[in-house]
Amino acid sequence: MASLSLPKHTFTSLLPTQTPRHYYPSSQIVSKSSNSQFYGLKLSNSTSLPIPSSSSGKNIICGKVDKGKVPPNFNLKDQDGKSVSLSKFKGKPVVVYFYPADETPGCTKQACAFRDSYEKFKKAGAQVVGISGDDSASHKAFAKKYKLPFTLLSDEGNKVRKEWGVPSDLFGTLPGRQTYVLDKNGVVQLIYNNQFQPEKHIDETLKLLQSL
Amino acid sequence: MSIFTQTKLLPSPKHHVHTICHSPLLRTTVHCSVSTTAKPKPVPEKLIIEPPRLQQLEPSPDNIRPMLNDPSLLSTWSHRAWVASGCTTVLISLAKSVAGAAHSHIWAEPILAGLVGYVLADLGSGVYHWGIDNYGGASTPIFGAQIEAFQGHHKWPWTITKRQFANNLHALARVITFTVLPLDLAFDDPILHGFVAVCSGCIMFSQQFHAWAHGTKSRLPPLVLALQDSGLLISRSQHSAHHRQPYNNNYCIVSGVWNEFLDKQKVFEALEMILFFKQGLRPRSWSEPSSEWIEEAETISQLANN
Repeated sequence: MASLSLPKHTFTSLLPTQTPRHYYPSSQIVSKSSNSQFYGLKLSNSTSLPIPSSSSGKNIICGKVDKGKVPPNFNLKDQDGKSVSLSKFKGKPVVVYFYPADETPGCTKQACAFRDSYEKFKKAGAQVVGISGDDSASHKAFAKKYKLPFTLLSDEGNKVRKEWGVPSDLFGTLPGRQTYVLDKNGVVQLIYNNQFQPEKHIDETLKLLQSL
Repeated sequence: MSIFTQTKLLPSPKHHVHTICHSPLLRTTVHCSVSTTAKPKPVPEKLIIEPPRLQQLEPSPDNIRPMLNDPSLLSTWSHRAWVASGCTTVLISLAKSVAGAAHSHIWAEPILAGLVGYVLADLGSGVYHWGIDNYGGASTPIFGAQIEAFQGHHKWPWTITKRQFANNLHALARVITFTVLPLDLAFDDPILHGFVAVCSGCIMFSQQFHAWAHGTKSRLPPLVLALQDSGLLISRSQHSAHHRQPYNNNYCIVSGVWNEFLDKQKVFEALEMILFFKQGLRPRSWSEPSSEWIEEAETISQLANN
């Protein structure tokens, strides 16, 4: 299925009216604003969405990551247990891809597709970073099994996923599969969402990287 | 609903004398060339009437290759009785539909309902097959025996073509009897019965359609071939795709009309992901198939001798 580029106004029409945005663990996130369509949603002209603050305290999200923005920094453990921060990648383009879980069919296809095209990413001067809620041990086994040459980060509690506003699929039951391409200044230039055609993430991101 | 009771021969006590097979198997590509069991074959002198026996510990299914002349492939009177009762309930439903339609002078609606029943039977067969193929095990309540049988079927898919008719269908016929009989007794509506008769009939006979899908062109009746080629029954090629690793597609076995849609739209993959994230259940198809699942091939000559 072809990916869709939606015009600006679509997001306001998809916004639930008068509904406070309370963020729960990622499996229950329902984000209407950039609802992924399974078959490709390229967000190239998104607006930032005002979200009313919730009274529950720690689940307040102040604004999701959109194109043209610099995403909030994160500090997550990689597959070897080492801390990695987003700021480390500044100066080079970086592909940050959020995926549901290690050792699931779509995520395996996606990781292997990134692996198989890794030379092209390197040629474009880009780094690749995968992020899911799995722990470092799971990432280590996953990376070893499929010989993944890039970094996998452990987003425990899906905190970064929530901060960046990665939408869920199937009425909040599945963590979304969304990829961000940041340029060398750390600014988001592409957001691509596609749950069930994971290999397309590689094509779309490479296309953009080659134009940067 | 038990659709796919397959190689139940393995745990049954009466087969213990046949369970140890020492003949070496040459692993080659095999094409199913065994005869089909399209019609019941009344061979009274070969009928096995099962005496009451004590339960015995049985070797696990994965160690036992079914012999092609195994008595567990034959129909018993119990099997025939269940098939007869299942057919009776379906025919009663059909008769009620026809009689009601004639009485009310409505034909289009019952026929349309029948068509819906035919289409939904295929979907139902796929969903059930997907569930049985991916979750649970031999010790699962109610479904354990079928799950175990499925394992056997994937390992020895050709066995189904050697089963006699009632042997193949009796488990489904039993479920249909219990499901359709109350509907026959409670309702008279011709449209409802149009749906019920066709849907339940297709489900009951899905195991026969399944067996034909494992047959070879040279050994299937021309009518069956025509129905397969026209897409009215599950085709041999479509079903053989299900028997290739990782065994995660083409689950429907009545007509297969839903297969392309379900596979292309990744419906089962989505359901698997939901069950994984919500319940922590990991489907079998996500892992490398175990030895119990991988098809065991035999030489063509061994099959030809049987």
